[in-house]
Order: sequence, then structure tokens, then C-alpha cells
Amino acid sequence: MIKIKELEASVEDKQILNGINLEIPKGEVHVIMGRNGSGKSTLANVIAGNEAYEVNSGSIEMNGNDITEMSIENRALQGLFLCFQYPVAIPGVSMAYFLRAALNAHNKHAGKDDIDAVEFLTNAKKILSHLGLDDSFLKRSINDGFSGGEKKKSEILQLLMLNPQFAVLDETDSGLDVDALRTVAEGVNEFNNDGNSVLIITHYQRLLNYIKPDVVHIMIDGEIVKSGDMNLAKEVEEKGYSWLVK
Amino acid sequence: MLKKIQQDSHDQFEELGYPSKKLENWKFSSSKHLKKYKSDSSHNKDLSIDQYKNPYTLCFINGELSEESLNDFVYKDDISISDIETLNDNSLCATSSNFKKEAFFHLGLSTVKTGKYFEFKKGVDFDNPIEIVNLYDKNSKDLRISSFNIFKINTGNNISIIEKDINQGVDSFNLSLKKFICSDDSTLNHSMIHNDNTGSNYLGYHYYELGRNTFLNIDSMNIQSTFNKNFIEVDFNKEGSEAKINMLNLAKNDQHLDNNILMNHNAEHCTSFQNVRNILDDESTCVFNGKVIVADGAQKTDSNQSNQNLLLSKNATAHSNPQLEIYADDVKCGHGSTTGALDKDSIFYLRARGINQADANNMLIKAFAQEILEEFINITNLSEHHLNHWIDE
Repeated sequence: MIKIKELEASVEDKQILNGINLEIPKGEVHVIMGRNGSGKSTLANVIAGNEAYEVNSGSIEMNGNDITEMSIENRALQGLFLCFQYPVAIPGVSMAYFLRAALNAHNKHAGKDDIDAVEFLTNAKKILSHLGLDDSFLKRSINDGFSGGEKKKSEILQLLMLNPQFAVLDETDSGLDVDALRTVAEGVNEFNNDGNSVLIITHYQRLLNYIKPDVVHIMIDGEIVKSGDMNLAKEVEEKGYSWLVK
Repeated sequence: MLKKIQQDSHDQFEELGYPSKKLENWKFSSSKHLKKYKSDSSHNKDLSIDQYKNPYTLCFINGELSEESLNDFVYKDDISISDIETLNDNSLCATSSNFKKEAFFHLGLSTVKTGKYFEFKKGVDFDNPIEIVNLYDKNSKDLRISSFNIFKINTGNNISIIEKDINQGVDSFNLSLKKFICSDDSTLNHSMIHNDNTGSNYLGYHYYELGRNTFLNIDSMNIQSTFNKNFIEVDFNKEGSEAKINMLNLAKNDQHLDNNILMNHNAEHCTSFQNVRNILDDESTCVFNGKVIVADGAQKTDSNQSNQNLLLSKNATAHSNPQLEIYADDVKCGHGSTTGALDKDSIFYLRARGINQADANNMLIKAFAQEILEEFINITNLSEHHLNHWIDE
């Protein structure tokens, strides 16, 4: 479903990704682990189309369509979703207004009418309850004054509301206590099914106590140097990354 | 009495001449283009007020109160209205000493034909805001329309005034002088929407004199005038009063929006807030000169001024100059200013959820304005409507 071929990308003229090859079929959960500065978040941003990053060569395909040159919003409308590592605060725009605008953009793209207000609220309240958040969360400005845990739960709320085909979770586990980590992981598990795929980017193995990946990749210096199953993640947790450096 | 004041002002104007850019208040705004406007000489007023007739509305046509609108005015028995010429008390006309350094203030005062003194009866508390509609007719083209009105808010009054400027699309220069006397234990909410059609020029000198335990709220939205410059001065003369100014200014093309606010804390235990936001597109410019002066002895003053400017174009320019002058030692005063473009990370965040670039930009512009709109007491919905229209244009 998602196919990345020989992807090279840079930021501020510094090349960070040095030929990424990655294929994630429908229904699978893949994990990319790596040290700080290995290029994990760059990959997430490049997949999402962040214009601060430049693709030098290679391609990104989603469901057979080349999205490498596609605009940020069109990628999202094609079914791509990035869970941000550092979600920005936008004072003055309520979560409800934002979510409805996003859902309506998706509906419009699909040739459907705007979302019904009652249906929206019913669905949102159900997800909020699963995430342990109060309904008043919808009235708050986007990520404004949110705790670290609330920011990540807000990302999962958006993930479950928009129900994309491919989700990239960029360090969604960072800065969370055990309870919040479990809640977030349950949200991801609730989302994942045979019809979509997930790429989890993380530093640590601890999220994998709650989410079982199909494939684990190790990224070093902008390349995927090794892929394997859950045992690879455990091995990295025990031995670090040095033994994988070429 | 007005005649004597006008003669003095005429002499002052002759002495001062038109302001040059050497003057601090005119450093970023040229007055050259204002010289061409001729003084209004009782031309025929070709304007019907029918569409503005409302029991809560007072219409002014080219600066003069319309008797027709007064006839229908529901609160007319609660306000005593007289001509300024007939006032015997000199102090009622006295205004800021700072305005007296302004040539245009004197030009306005010396050429005003008539002015009204509105005194609200003691204890009156109106359920509805009074709407003041300033209309300028088509014959005001190339004219300078000067007006001078005084409002006395008496003890126990709780008065809301919503002022709107409506121009018929002609190139005119509206020079507005106003004084508000807020007596002890009174409340005044003064809202202003300057929504002139492009082509007009507006210069306002508004002076507010506060008594003890008064509450003054000024909400202002400026849109569309080619040139819009405001001088607002609040004098805290007795203890325990509070004044808030919330202002949202929108400018496009080569519009110039210029706000000069002075809070004079002359008494103890007074609070003032200035919150001014400008949104600038194209080649527009704005100026914020905000000043707080805390006099010796004005202890426990609590004052804050904030100016934030959002630049939607690389060619737009904001000049921001928040200033504090403090001569008392037990006060809390803060000021801050930011100027920047729309946040790229926020745009990326919204677009990453499928919201297109234009909608994301508009959402962020509205969010920037929202924090001011929420503070407005009487004009939130109307201002929101104008903002949406401005964005859609």
C-alpha cells in the first residue's frame, strides 16, 4: 500500500535521507527505530509533504499513486495521516471547528455533503471517552495549554476521526506516562485493521509492549540498515545501535 | 464660548502649520494628502436617513445631529442635548493638553460649525446600546468634515454607545473631535466601527476624562479607510477606575492605519489595558504608538499594553512603539509587541489534515483576530461579519 523507493531528502541543503526503501502492505504495522538524528522524523515529514524538506531523488507511492510531488493537503485527502511529534498550538481555533473543517475537506474530496453536526458530536464524544478526555476538550483551542499527554491524545482523536488509510506516528510515545502510553497504544490498536497500515517511529521499545508490529526496521544515518521482527527491537533495546553501524 | 475657543484654535493652527514627519506622532504618516480638502461650507445634504431610522439610533450627517433621527429616539427624555455654543462652563470643553500640540486638532476645532453636548441623566441605565451613525453624503467629496461633540456620563449611568461611520464612497476627510466625561461610579462602553468606503480619510481625537470608580471600555474595529489615524487619550484623575481598549485593524492595498493611545495614570489604584492587533495585507502600513504614563503618587497602578501585528504580505509594514513612563514605585506595568507572518508550522499542521492552503490561512487569520473579538462587548458579531467579508474579498 505504501512504497518508498530510493528516497533521498534534505533540509536546509543538508542531506538527511540517503536512499530509503520501505514497503508497508495493507493491514501491517511497521516500526522504525533509530538514534536521535538518524533521520526518522525527517522521513515522517517528507512522507507528509512538509515543504521545509526537499526530496532530491526517489519516490513515495500510496496505493499505486506517486505522491512525491503532491501537496500536503492532497496527500492527507488521499488517506495519509501524520501524528505529529510536536503538535503546534493554535490559539483561537477550537478543536471542534478544526475537526469539522478537516472532516468536511475529506467529505468534499469524496464528493459527499458536509458532516452532520449530530453525527460529528456523537462520534467525537465516543472517541473522547475512550481516550479518557472530557467532552469540553472540543471547545479548547488546538493544543493550546494542553499537557504532553493531552497533545498526543489529541493526535489520536484526529487519527480515529479521520480514519486514514496510512498513518505515520512520529514519536507519539515520547513524553507519556505509562497510563497515557497505554491509552494512546489502545487508540492505535483500535485504528489498525486489514484495510489500513501504520508506520510507528520511535526511540524506544516500550510502546511495543502494547502494539505488536509486523516488521521492525532500524534506521542509521538516513538509511534502513536492518529489518526484522519484534526480536530485533528487543535486541536493540539490550545492545544499543552500535553493532548495526556499517 | 465656542467662538472664543475656535478663534484660539485658529491662531494655534496658523502657528503650528500642518504636521511634518519630524513630529513623533507623524513620523510614519504623511499629512500632505490631507491639505487638499476644503472646509465644509454648508453644502446641501443630499442624504436620506430612512434606512438607518431606529428607536436606538442617532444619525449625524456630515458631523451634525439629524433632528429627524432625534424625533424617533427612544432615550431622548433621558438625555439633555444642547449646543456647545450655549455652554457656560469652560471646563466642559477643555481637552487633553497633548491634543493642543496637534495642528489638526486645532484645524478641526476652529472649523467646526456646530457641536452638541449630551448629558445623560443621573442613574440612567439603558437596556440597549445607543447607536450613533455618522453619515457622510456624496456632496462631501473633497471636503473636510469637522465635528466636535461632548458626552457627559453621569454618576450611576451604565451607557453603551456603538458608533459607525458610513461613507457613500466619496473621497472626503472626516476630522472627528470627541470628549467623554465619565463621572464617579459610571460605566461607558464605547464601540467604534470605522467601515468607510475606500477613498475616505479619518482622523479622530478622542479624549476620556475618568472620575472615581469608573469603568471605561473602548472597542474599535477599523477597516477600509485609505487613511485612518486615531488619537485616544484617557485621563485617570481619581482612584479606582479601569479602562480597557481592544482594537482590531484590517488593512489592504495602500491603506494606512495609525493608532496613538495614551493612558495617563494620575491617581492610585487604577487599571488600564491596551490590546491592539493589526492585520496587514498588500502594501498597507500601520502604526501603534501606545503610551502609559504613571504619575508620581499613582501607586498600585496596574497597566498592560500589547500590540500584535500579522503581516500577510512581504510589502506590508508595521511600526510598533509601546512606551512606559513611570514615576511611582509601587506599580505593575507591562508591555509587549510582536510582528510576524502566518506561522508556517501551523499552516503545515492544518494542511496535513486535508485543509487547503487558503482555508488554513483564513483559519489562522481568524484565530489571530478571535482573541480581540472575544473581548469586544457589543460588536463581536458585527466585527466577525466584517472580518469574514474582508477575508473573502
